[in-house]
Amino acid sequence: MNILIIEDELKTASYLCAGLTEAGYVVDHADNGIDGLHMARESRYDLILLDVMLPEMDGWTVMEKLGSRQQTPVLFLSARGTLEDRLRGLGLGAEEYLVKPFSFAELLARIRIILRRGQTEKLVETIEIGDLQVDVAKRRVIRGGQRLSLTNKEFSLLMCFVQRRDEVLPRSLLASLVWDMNFDSDTNVVDVAVRRLRQKLDDPFPTRLIHTVHGVGYRFEHEP
Amino acid sequence: MSRLSLTLRLTLVLACFAFGAMAILGSALYFGLRAQLALSDDAALVTRVDQIRSLLQDSDAREMVRDKPRLFANMLGNSESLLIVQSQSGPALITVNPGNREVPQVQAVDADTPLSLQHVQHGQAADGTPFIYMAAQVRMTGNQPPLKVTSGRLLNERARILAGYRNDILTLSSLTAGLIALLAFFLARRSMLPLRRLAEQTAAIGIGTLSSRIDRQNAPQELDAVIAQFNAMLARLERGFTDLKQVSADMAHDLRTPIGNLLGQIEVGLGKVRGMDYYQRLLGSNYEELQRLSKMIDSMLFLARTDHAEEAIERVDVNLAEELERIGSYFEDITQERGVRLTWSGDGTLQADVTLLRRALANLVSNAVRHARTDSEIRLEVQRTPQYSIVLVRNLGETIPPHAIERLFDRFYRADSARQHSSERSGLGLSIVASIMKLHGGHCQVVSHDGVTSFSLFFPHA
Repeated sequence: MNILIIEDELKTASYLCAGLTEAGYVVDHADNGIDGLHMARESRYDLILLDVMLPEMDGWTVMEKLGSRQQTPVLFLSARGTLEDRLRGLGLGAEEYLVKPFSFAELLARIRIILRRGQTEKLVETIEIGDLQVDVAKRRVIRGGQRLSLTNKEFSLLMCFVQRRDEVLPRSLLASLVWDMNFDSDTNVVDVAVRRLRQKLDDPFPTRLIHTVHGVGYRFEHEP
Repeated sequence: MSRLSLTLRLTLVLACFAFGAMAILGSALYFGLRAQLALSDDAALVTRVDQIRSLLQDSDAREMVRDKPRLFANMLGNSESLLIVQSQSGPALITVNPGNREVPQVQAVDADTPLSLQHVQHGQAADGTPFIYMAAQVRMTGNQPPLKVTSGRLLNERARILAGYRNDILTLSSLTAGLIALLAFFLARRSMLPLRRLAEQTAAIGIGTLSSRIDRQNAPQELDAVIAQFNAMLARLERGFTDLKQVSADMAHDLRTPIGNLLGQIEVGLGKVRGMDYYQRLLGSNYEELQRLSKMIDSMLFLARTDHAEEAIERVDVNLAEELERIGSYFEDITQERGVRLTWSGDGTLQADVTLLRRALANLVSNAVRHARTDSEIRLEVQRTPQYSIVLVRNLGETIPPHAIERLFDRFYRADSARQHSSERSGLGLSIVASIMKLHGGHCQVVSHDGVTSFSLFFPHA
């Protein structure tokens, strides 16, 4: 998967490149709008991360010039967070509008969602990870041969985890996916929910599936 | 005219009035005097002609006139008078005409008619001086032909007096106007003194002396309203300014805590070489602190934006039953953990920005969870009045004292001064609720007594 980053702030660009490369993407970088537009037209990318405030040509213009011919999804990264800016970005056809500062895990999660959108989601009926079996249709969860009784919410949370296994899921993303709460809350609601899921899913068993990523969020991972 | 000072304007107006009044009074007197003088002059002329007529009726006197006309001329005339005595068609017996003026032709009054003021003719001499004259016939005894007496008078004296009088009036009027202008000027300046003092006091108010108020003493009543309004404005400014100072101070304090943590942790961490685990934990902890900072800045930005500009919001029809359900599910675990119950009821729709509404509700509920008594109920309700849709969050716990309620929506205000849990709370939650309500054109109200605290969100009907 190729990603083009058009971003003039060097530190931002550098950690984005490093993080995305580590996540398995092939990353190109342009530090101004004109170069970025040129690269976007010359090569084929699966996703473009586009800053709004850019030298030479701003992100809006780049987007407008790209828009008519290209199918590549665009994700705006901007320090401007007003509703007008957001609507403008989305109105130009961007897939997502992230306001700086954002957490990298959040960005990664959004990128994955966008890139997955193109693929037809396989309607899996059962998921097996290690000794865990999830029957999606029947909402039945079995671990180590033992049937776990989960509440609806615990099941939704578990589904978020298993569908994004091995990914770091920030708390804000979980809140947004499970409860549709799209803002940072003062409370540790997500932590409590995860703790309760763990009590049923992890505590009775020798290996952990849900891992805490300190400060950031959680990761669902099976280490054989 | 609009830029003339009030003092000058008052002065000018009063001076004009004074001059006008004096001029009207003066001209009334002047015209009165002129009429009086004219009357007396006319009467004198009539008397004189009457006397001459009587005199000439006496035959001895006529003899003497005929014999010694010069004597009569001297006796009857003077430099201003005109006197001509002549027979019906003959030459003049006596002619006194010092200026050799043209004698106007005039119909003589019949000898039998008594003379009256109506017979006096008014005219003007060649040089414009008023001139009165009249003529009368004198009956002779026997069959002598009647005589005609023509007499006139040049009113030099009268014109002079009147002119003097007129000049006096003009001078006096001007003097009075000047005097009144002067007086008005000083009076107006004196009256304006409180205004000037007001300006001086206003000028003395600076950022450091916002607590001072304008002194009402000695100021005329008319200024009371201005002073009261001004003082009210000062009070508002002072409050705003104090709030601002408080916010900056609180923000500095709240920023200092995570930054202090960061610095301290890194300092200790770098003190010696440590294992990978340690560094990972350190970075994780740093990340958390930085997240707190970032969240705080986000919230401050949110508040700053909603404070000033009319930030646009995206209103949609929100299904309240669904939203309450969502909030209930969101807080389900945490309420169970804290040993409180969250219950809700209510339905209907609301025109609101759904993300902001959730944020406001989440802030209120998380606040309620934090302060609810163990094993009590937190209740969410929807109420409707003709003007508002109200979403209410009620919890049982300690009553919030009135002085705290006033400041509850202030930024960084935490009712529990010990600042416990300050690491997980920004102290901005309720300010954000208030801002969100402002964006919706509504407001947030809090009532707390007898251990029951309810926050109500008032959404005006669209």
